[in-house]
Amino acid sequence: MSKSFGKNPAVILEKIRESLDRLNEKMEIFIELQKQERKQDLIVHDLPEALDVMTLLSLPDHLRKTAVSICKLGHATAEEVAEQTKRARAVESGYLNQLVLMSYLKKERKGRKAYFYVEK
Amino acid sequence: MLRNEGTKMGKIIVIHSYKGGTGKTLLSVNMAAAYAKMGKRVCLLDLDFRAPSLQSIFKLNGSKYWLNDYLNGSCEIGKVLVDYTPECECNGSMYVGLANPAIEALRDMSAKDRKWEMRALGRLLSLKNTVLNDMELDYLIYDTSPGLQYSSINAIVSADVVLVVSTIDRSDVEGTKRMVHELYDLFEKKTAILMNKVPIEFLSTQLERDSVYKRFENTHTLPVLKVIPCYCDVLRSGGSKIFVRDEPEHAFTKHVNDITLKIDNF
Repeated sequence: MSKSFGKNPAVILEKIRESLDRLNEKMEIFIELQKQERKQDLIVHDLPEALDVMTLLSLPDHLRKTAVSICKLGHATAEEVAEQTKRARAVESGYLNQLVLMSYLKKERKGRKAYFYVEK
Repeated sequence: MLRNEGTKMGKIIVIHSYKGGTGKTLLSVNMAAAYAKMGKRVCLLDLDFRAPSLQSIFKLNGSKYWLNDYLNGSCEIGKVLVDYTPECECNGSMYVGLANPAIEALRDMSAKDRKWEMRALGRLLSLKNTVLNDMELDYLIYDTSPGLQYSSINAIVSADVVLVVSTIDRSDVEGTKRMVHELYDLFEKKTAILMNKVPIEFLSTQLERDSVYKRFENTHTLPVLKVIPCYCDVLRSGGSKIFVRDEPEHAFTKHVNDITLKIDNF
């Protein structure tokens, strides 16, 4: 009998949820990477200097909203950004990862949570 | 938005315009004084780093630090603010933060790079906590540079309400219209128009006044909060008076009082 069968089912389910969350995030990054490649890889050729207001103005509307929220919050999870923008967490997670890929944001993991921030 | 239980969170009001000389500073100063007179706690900041002007109105000696120092990260905001309450003859409180008018400072501010502007945005955004919440202020008013200056756009991003001051000058109206759609709309800001210096003969009857409101609301597809006539004695005062304090019965003062009440319900 495997060790995990002795554990509380709620703990097992939580572990599965965590794994799914991570998998979901990786999928979002993968999807964004594919989108970016299709756009002739703007990331590598045109690295931005900073997420200043002129950059904010040049972003598409959906990304601008996410970027402004991160500027206000400073250091936040996709869930916290979603609370501000009133959009779904998964949608914000996608946009935040896109901004990371575009080098406007940094991402760090603390435990099972991913935090996004602007590098000053 | 609640600060403490039962206390409304303060508002950041940005006064901006497309062109210079529309009366932003006069309106900012008088709006701050009007709120203070109503018993509110208010702070007025000069974010016009290209042409600072509040120092010539307030002639403050209380601070060794400027807003430039705060944005440079060399001091905290508390060091910049001067308590103007005793001089404003009000029931509330009024604090003022000035921009450095020295030529060297103007040159320094115009040579800042994008990284600096990004950090400055962060420091402006943090005023919501440090000034509005910690100091328990009701209003934070920013007087800004006209047009698309970095400092002004930073202020707009951090604003709760943007008041755009325009005259009836055609280039001003057209520029304001462009700015509304290419700047304020993009940041989804609550925006209203203040038409200032409107020739009094355009406003002599209620019908004419209504038609001026309608005309500019249609032009900008935004609410026109107030149409203020051009008063010769306001121009003549040369910015040396705070009308709300010095001339409480003046028609200009009444317009300013109206604006402050309208903002609360906006």
